[in-house]
Amino acid sequence: MADTSLKKDQTAKPEDGNEKIRILAFLCNWCSYAGADLAGVSRLQYPPDVKSIRVMCTGTISPHYILKAFQEGADGVLIAGCHIGDCHYLKGNYATAKRFRVIKDLLESIGIDPGRLRLEWVSAAEGEKYADVIASFTEQIKEIGKSPLSKSMGRDVNKSKAQVADESV
Amino acid sequence: MKQELIQKIKKMLESGEAGAVLFLRGEEGDITPAVASDPADAAIDEVYSGDSKFLMAAFACLVEPYHNEKVAVVMRECDRRMLIELAKHNKIAFDKIIPLSIPCSQQLADACVCDHPVPPGCEFDTTTRPVTNEPGGTEPEDGDRLSYWMDHFSRCIRCMGCRNVCPLCYCADCALDNPELLGPEMFPPDIPIFHLIRAIDMADRCIDCGMCEEVCPADIPLRKLYRNALGSLKEALDYVPGLDLKEKSPLEVLGEPGQLGGMEDGYRRE
Repeated sequence: MADTSLKKDQTAKPEDGNEKIRILAFLCNWCSYAGADLAGVSRLQYPPDVKSIRVMCTGTISPHYILKAFQEGADGVLIAGCHIGDCHYLKGNYATAKRFRVIKDLLESIGIDPGRLRLEWVSAAEGEKYADVIASFTEQIKEIGKSPLSKSMGRDVNKSKAQVADESV
Repeated sequence: MKQELIQKIKKMLESGEAGAVLFLRGEEGDITPAVASDPADAAIDEVYSGDSKFLMAAFACLVEPYHNEKVAVVMRECDRRMLIELAKHNKIAFDKIIPLSIPCSQQLADACVCDHPVPPGCEFDTTTRPVTNEPGGTEPEDGDRLSYWMDHFSRCIRCMGCRNVCPLCYCADCALDNPELLGPEMFPPDIPIFHLIRAIDMADRCIDCGMCEEVCPADIPLRKLYRNALGSLKEALDYVPGLDLKEKSPLEVLGEPGQLGGMEDGYRRE
């Protein structure tokens, strides 16, 4: 048994130069989470690099959560909710749309690729669209590469240039 | 301008238009806020009208609850915009304040790179012209922008000066104190999240007074950072904070389709 667990560990290690990307997805309970469920029960294939978090409405997603995700090294953040006009809480996703615009522009202005963020409206009936979104977003993030804020890029974001220079002496 | 201001304050108190006047007194280097309710008060003759900036809006919030009559406040245009934002957030009763607006000198306007040095309807004579340049140096092109900002952020010593000086940063439960978001008491702070949290929270209320950048001991170009967020709000949602007491921030109301910053069909970078 010990042998198999060792093997498991080895397979979990990233391949050289092709480290696994990490995407965080916020899914709304009423539409996109159900859409993801439909994609699952329909046995649609999509990349496994996404960690999903179910929220009751995309309108509950504070911009701080998105910043925290990038701070912790997420390579991409996806927000998926009900179509405009179909929100379970009537207008919750209006707030999401406006906040998303501001945070996207802010991250872009400090030099983070806006391709790392995506906002999609996926209804409960759109399992296929969900699989497509995950596939194309994963593709896009792979193209852009690992996040420059992630520690595995050799950049400890909490160290200044001077500190790094001190340590290398 | 000093003599005119003294006369104006005395007239306001004599006529009963204002029950009290809040102003700065003293000379350069020894300036204190003062409240006078008697026109014969000797402090009025020492009123300060120079170039030092103080946050009169913050003083006004402290003084206003202790007066039943209206309070006249000697203030610059920045302070008036701050008061409008504070009134929108129910921090002060705006109808109890009489803005006694004074213009800034050309020297101060140039130093602040300010496009609104003269308040609308200003009753003092002034020759000050608005400055329309973009403050601060230019940001580097796309490739270097992240390292430009990270280099600036990495100098942060987490003194909290930017938060403490800002009258519009008033939340009792501050996100910057939330241990779930930031390492508590960690030095230096987690970057860039520390600065971005403040930037995103100030996006719909910052009136671009530049005090945060002025007090920052690490010379981080905070004003430019917040202006980026403000620019996004103006471009996408057609909103500028501090101008209209009746207009609510688009981030605080749900709004209608067509006013969602072009995000009606979601967002994906092509």
